[in-house]
Amino acid sequence: MNKIKSNNLVAARSLLINLTLRENRSKYKRSTLGWAWSMINPLATMLIFTFVFRIVFRIPPPEGHPSGLTNFGFFLICGLLPWNFLAAGLSGATGSVVGNAGLIKKVYFTRAVLPAASVLSWNTNLLIELGVLSLALIFVGQYVFLYLPAALVVIVLQMFFVLGIGLALSALNVYFRDIEHFLTILLLLWFYATPIIYPIDLVLDNDQITGVMRNVYLMNPMVHFADAYRAIFYHVRVPGVSTYLYMLISAAAAMAFGLWLFKKLEAKFAEEL
Amino acid sequence: MSDETAVSVRNVSKQFRIYHERNQSIKQMVLRRRRGVYEEFWALKNVSLNIPQASTYGLIGENGSGKSTLLKCMAKILVPDEGTVTTTGSISALLELGAGFHPELSGRENVFLNGAILGISSKELNRKFDEIVAFSGIERFIDTPVKNYSSGMYVRLGFSIAINVSPDVLLVDEVMAVGDAEFQMRSSQKFQELKESGCTIVVVSHSMEMIRDLCDSAAWLEHGTLKADGPAKQVIGAYMRHVAEATGSEYIEPDQVAPTG
Repeated sequence: MNKIKSNNLVAARSLLINLTLRENRSKYKRSTLGWAWSMINPLATMLIFTFVFRIVFRIPPPEGHPSGLTNFGFFLICGLLPWNFLAAGLSGATGSVVGNAGLIKKVYFTRAVLPAASVLSWNTNLLIELGVLSLALIFVGQYVFLYLPAALVVIVLQMFFVLGIGLALSALNVYFRDIEHFLTILLLLWFYATPIIYPIDLVLDNDQITGVMRNVYLMNPMVHFADAYRAIFYHVRVPGVSTYLYMLISAAAAMAFGLWLFKKLEAKFAEEL
Repeated sequence: MSDETAVSVRNVSKQFRIYHERNQSIKQMVLRRRRGVYEEFWALKNVSLNIPQASTYGLIGENGSGKSTLLKCMAKILVPDEGTVTTTGSISALLELGAGFHPELSGRENVFLNGAILGISSKELNRKFDEIVAFSGIERFIDTPVKNYSSGMYVRLGFSIAINVSPDVLLVDEVMAVGDAEFQMRSSQKFQELKESGCTIVVVSHSMEMIRDLCDSAAWLEHGTLKADGPAKQVIGAYMRHVAEATGSEYIEPDQVAPTG
């Protein structure tokens, strides 16, 4: 075997930063509103979902504890923003290797930077959006910035979680282009399996969801990520230790699997593309 | 010339699959229990050669002889199925100019992006930026998105970045003929400069004149195997004799080939 230096993402950080900037800069190029789209998209989704689920389906927003917030918009958006990051990050990462086929066939570089740059770029969006959300919360009298360190840990853990899955999907997509289409269905299922548009209590207190079903539901890592984001940005408190532990294990497992699979498959990228 | 080896190719074999029917979906794979109908084809078979440091080395042979595959193995783009390729120092490969340019970004932004892809630190890029732009000769358009560049400007900028990274080993695949006469002249001067500064250059080309003028040694590949290697003139001679025999034309001594370009 050819001796490939153990080039990792840390060693290639300069390239990673450059590629992330490339994605960030080109994301809203040639659109008149530019980065405002990063705000308009979640706000539009929030308004539509609020109408459907709050007004039509009458899902009540739970009361924030200790924040005292009872606002479906705030309740929704703090689940929606991390969800959008997951969905956009995974879609972007999945297409990143195939989309840069020309580069892979002609230049040697650490291949893993492609999905990583895509995930990091969407992570930048998440940071900006959460920043705006925090300002809005401060405006309504919630001192959410005190919980910034707690939030940062959650964001970093979710980034690694998304990156791990993204690495695996991007490598598999080189061999089977079905992955892109499969991902659409997976994300749809995953969206409803995560408490974003409904409070988690509607599942936990539901008599019909018990035993195995309930355990399966709680195995979804995004349940715990959504729980953590909601604790900080809705209830305005630090998430529980067990939530952090669950997120840490999910992120570590995703990264271990993603890196392993990517390493295994990347040697043949240039000829398979 | 030192005795140190810059690129060492040992017993390298590379196999490709020629797909007759390709299954790129899981459904087809499950149904047929394999990823397609294919023939195995050895693009390289047991090739060994040593490229000494600070030398200029030519790879010649007919189309499909495995020259580019070998170059890609040296560049680590392809991983050989058997054997090893070891290189000392940093490598830069000129396989396609401007690969990785983002059309919406300006020339300036693309210099930094492309430089990073080629493995140059941003500090070094900052230092070399003016030199790169001056060499490409597109100062006026450096802040224009590259999608508005002419194809000549595009490759000139790509070439300029790749050649100004001062690699220890430079791999070049038939990309010398870019730009106008003036740019070509400056490119060959740059190659001479790199040569004198101790850079190892590996060139794949069909231009025997260029190989003869530029290279100290050469290797001739045919159907993935090494036919001959050694001093450039001898290898070119052997290759030309072979071509002459195959086509039934008269063999011309390398020295008598009129220099062109």
